[in-house]
Amino acid sequence: MIFGMVDNALLSLVKVAIPASTVVVLCALGVMLAERVGVLNLGQEGLIGIGAVYAVIAATEWGVGSPWISMLIGMVAAAMAGAVFAVVVVVFRANQVLAGLALAIGGIGLSNQLGVNRNGTPIRTLFAEINPGGRFTSNAFLETFFFHDPVVYVAYILLPAAFWFLLFRTRHGMNMKAVGENPASADAAGVNVTWARIGYSVAGASLAGAGGAYMVLSFTPMWAPDIARGRGWIALAVVIFGAWRPFRVVAGALLYGAMISLGMTAQARNWNLPFLGPRDLSFFLSMIPYLVTIVAILIPAGAARSGRRVRSTSAPGGLAVPYSREER
Amino acid sequence: MRSFRLERQLDLDPRRAALCRVAGALCALVLSALVLAFTGRNPAWILWQALDAIFSRQRGIEGVALRAIPILMTALAVALSLRMRIWNIGSDGQFLVGAFAAVGVGINLNAPGWVMLLAMAAASTLAGAAWILIPALARAYWGVNEIITTLLTGFVAVQLCAWASLGFWRDEGAWAIQSTEAIKDTLPKIPGTESLTIALLFPLVIAGALWWVFRSTRAGYEIDMIGGNPKAAAFAGINVPRRVVAVMLVTGAIAGLGGMIHLAGSPGAQQLNSGFSAQYGLSGFIVAAIAAGSFLGLVVGGFLIAGMFYSGLVLQTRGLSVYIVLALYGIILIGVAVGEMAARYRLVRAESEVAARRST
Amino acid sequence: MTEGSTGRALEARGISKSFGGISALDGVDFDLIQGEVHALLGENGAGKTTLSNVLAGLYRADAGEVLVDGSPREFRTPSQAIAAGIGMVHQHFRLVEPMTVAENLHLGWEDTPKVCTRRALAARAKRFMDEIGLHVDPTAYIWQLSVGEQQRVEILRVLARGARILILDEPTAVLTAQETTELFDVLRRLVNGGRSVVFISHKLKEVLDVSDRITVLRGGVKKTTRPTEGATIRELALLMTGESDEINVTHRKVDGKVALEISKVTARNDRDLIALREVDLSVREGEILGIAGVSGNGQTELAEVLAGMRVTDHGSVHVAGQDLTNAPARVVIDHGVGHIPEDRIGMGLVLPASVEDNAVLRHYRRDEFSTGIGLDRGAVTAFAERLVNVGRVQTRSLHATVGELSGGNQQRLIAHREAAVADQVMIASQPTRGLDVLAAQEVQSTLLDLRDGGCAILLISDDLDEILLMSDRVAVMYEGKIVGVFDSADADRDKIGILMGGHQDADSLR
Repeated sequence: MIFGMVDNALLSLVKVAIPASTVVVLCALGVMLAERVGVLNLGQEGLIGIGAVYAVIAATEWGVGSPWISMLIGMVAAAMAGAVFAVVVVVFRANQVLAGLALAIGGIGLSNQLGVNRNGTPIRTLFAEINPGGRFTSNAFLETFFFHDPVVYVAYILLPAAFWFLLFRTRHGMNMKAVGENPASADAAGVNVTWARIGYSVAGASLAGAGGAYMVLSFTPMWAPDIARGRGWIALAVVIFGAWRPFRVVAGALLYGAMISLGMTAQARNWNLPFLGPRDLSFFLSMIPYLVTIVAILIPAGAARSGRRVRSTSAPGGLAVPYSREER
Repeated sequence: MRSFRLERQLDLDPRRAALCRVAGALCALVLSALVLAFTGRNPAWILWQALDAIFSRQRGIEGVALRAIPILMTALAVALSLRMRIWNIGSDGQFLVGAFAAVGVGINLNAPGWVMLLAMAAASTLAGAAWILIPALARAYWGVNEIITTLLTGFVAVQLCAWASLGFWRDEGAWAIQSTEAIKDTLPKIPGTESLTIALLFPLVIAGALWWVFRSTRAGYEIDMIGGNPKAAAFAGINVPRRVVAVMLVTGAIAGLGGMIHLAGSPGAQQLNSGFSAQYGLSGFIVAAIAAGSFLGLVVGGFLIAGMFYSGLVLQTRGLSVYIVLALYGIILIGVAVGEMAARYRLVRAESEVAARRST
Repeated sequence: MTEGSTGRALEARGISKSFGGISALDGVDFDLIQGEVHALLGENGAGKTTLSNVLAGLYRADAGEVLVDGSPREFRTPSQAIAAGIGMVHQHFRLVEPMTVAENLHLGWEDTPKVCTRRALAARAKRFMDEIGLHVDPTAYIWQLSVGEQQRVEILRVLARGARILILDEPTAVLTAQETTELFDVLRRLVNGGRSVVFISHKLKEVLDVSDRITVLRGGVKKTTRPTEGATIRELALLMTGESDEINVTHRKVDGKVALEISKVTARNDRDLIALREVDLSVREGEILGIAGVSGNGQTELAEVLAGMRVTDHGSVHVAGQDLTNAPARVVIDHGVGHIPEDRIGMGLVLPASVEDNAVLRHYRRDEFSTGIGLDRGAVTAFAERLVNVGRVQTRSLHATVGELSGGNQQRLIAHREAAVADQVMIASQPTRGLDVLAAQEVQSTLLDLRDGGCAILLISDDLDEILLMSDRVAVMYEGKIVGVFDSADADRDKIGILMGGHQDADSLR
């Protein structure tokens, strides 16, 4: 079987990358939803932190037995923070960049503060890996993809499929896309721009919280300060890379995870490139996702200038612009 | 039926806008004081401790000033590009790259002290500018959103510095924190102080220079016109893309220079490691955004934020967590953002206006 | 109240509305009889758009009430007005450009199936279009369509929601003559089918052509409502403007040097289609050459080429003998070419900047304001003060933002600024569009003064009356070509009108 020829190490790398990137996938899907209706929320780091810390509190202090419930609690907490942001930005029409940064900083501060006495306490109620049993244990390839916990499958398959269907096959999705592209037109057509923006912002925030909660309920089963470690920012970049389309966003998130895992593997196995020792290689690899994203952004922009209209990959027209009906 | 309405004003009186922002921040502070009181802490005591830590001794004031330096440099960089309505959110990255270049020169070159300082300054300035070059070109000629591109280059900068401090410039001798070797040349101290170097002068001089540029030069006028309406600026004969790139390069240069003066001008900061640009996280950007064009406001704001961080750190030794400071910070920011929006509205009594008109 | 007792589809009583302390409507009454086309006439700023926005649920009136079919209704959102059968087609289309015609038709609509594909929507759209008799390619993206087609999509959208009352805001402003005729046919058909139309315009001729009754607004107040039959242009103009007349202009046949020479200029527009085809024009010192034509035939692109804002494929432009072909804006300004741009706000002014800053926007580089790298703010202020006085620009202070100024005052500012820039040549592109009569006259006077001072003026306007009034010679532009040039003595309104409509030759018509 050809599968046998693929290096086992590569597969184990992918196997590790998948849950690690799930945080970014969940957060990025949330960012995508919000940006599709024109809201730019830079506060992802804070939201992940809030989701994580409340999941920790629920699992340890409140004695919640099921990781799903702990995750739900984390999501609700993040959703509430997201709701404050949404109101400030949609109803009061405050500057989205400033408010997002406020959320990021405030959220990190708040979550770190709440987690101050909970460093390192192990969490026992984690998501369990699915064991499909029998035939699936037969080779490494299948093992890489089929033995993850259920959240992975929700994040990588269920949610993107659901969002794809929502955005591209339903009336509701079409209306939402219009809100993002041209809120004035959507408003004139009778779509409630305010509720669309608030609703999707809160939904996006809760997904970020889910990402944070997942992290502490699976592969990093304890609290640590600054738990998001930049993954919120990565999610923002990934959405651009994925051109606001669900499956591409997931692919982008996987790319990041893969690069980071690749770097770690390079160190562990002493891979060498000319001029780059194993440690150097891992740093170089960690830069690649950002560089790739920059290139991915520049290409359609450059193509557009040379005349070809690359429509499907440009940002929603009304992104980050507050909307007011009576603005003359 | 009596009713009040919020009416959106067409013009924005800058003084009123500034007042509203301050009011927003104050409201947020009061709100957080209430929250703190709720959770069993005494806000007044906290405030007193913070003020005491800063003003009761020279070390306090110097501590604040030292922390203000990096914040002010990045804030100035951002403020300059903001006049063109360009959001350089990656100023921290350019700051880091400037420090990176300075460290590179500092540990690999050998020359008399002042030559070293000049070389490091030149390297850091160029590095900062180089780091913003691609986002600048992309924005000026292709209209690519600079928030995204500078954010991304900022991430790359962080990785690059981590690489340097853990990889090719690693100080093999240090065992406590992993960092690069330390540079040996530092900026001269200000006489009479314990820890302040002339690094403090840089942001003040630059702020003054920028203020003058926007008040009395053609370039400043052109930058403001580009910020107000790029199409009209083009119609006015201004070469907008070239101008945008030039200004953005200066922005990057200022941030990069900031990296060097922090490296060479703050005691204990002479090497690049994970704690280098510390938990300031975009503070420079935030200060610039809040100051909204006023360079005096920017300097004041920078010192205030620095004071907030300093007191947060010091209060740690007195039993408080620095995270509260961060949370406070976030709340204040939201207050300011809301205040800024509130400045555009005026409360109007609906009925009386109609009545007044009817009577004429 | 009995429903439909007076046959009134729509009625508005005592509507008042103000923005930021400025009153836009003051106690306006309006009614619409079932099955009629009722024109709402007035100049820009008279309140026509505000009134219609109130009727369509986009604005909430400060006072007054609206009745539909006899019963009072309050519209808090546009969808409530839509539900009541009122559909508005705006001057600036509310379409989503990156989406298709079919998607735009189905936007925000309860009848749209909850689950759908693009193809299904296109099929539904086609079926509806067949019913109504109005067609556009349902799979086309909005950005691919012509303006006339986009307007048709807007009308279809409104009809699809079951609108019995259509409000069209300045619908012909962006149409060609052909498209205007088609539109009027559509309106007649719709009205015969039982619907009622409110037709907002400032174009007297069209209003007389298409409407059954006319209401005139001026300054937020209703001046009259009367049947169209028997109304004259003169009378309506008087009601609209409150002032009667025109300035007196003597035309001359000029023989001096050629100041502006445009030779075989070919250029493309933003959509990469050819907008100018081998355009040949020359303007002499002390002469006004007017370019007549409906907007959209290349005038905008011509002005942009002359301003240095658009490059040409071939051809040349000479100013006083100097070759300025494809020269950048800065060089054009330095050669003393003034330009009153068509897009006043988008191109001519920096709205957030002060009156003072805008006053020197185009010539701040001149020695009187600049030395070395510095800008002499004192000189700038002095100039701005002079300009504001001479130009009668009403502003509360030199430091007020230009965005606060009314359209007329903004244009006064621009006109006098450009007069200072123009040494030899002035390009005036739609200079009086949307202005009240007083401001329009002042701008026209400024241009005439410039002409008398020896400047060569190229006047581009879609207002044929203005062209005939002001020009010493008239050129007609159609689809990017110059299709005729006349001396003012020979400039016959009908002949020109025909050329503007694309017909080559009057005789070939009959």
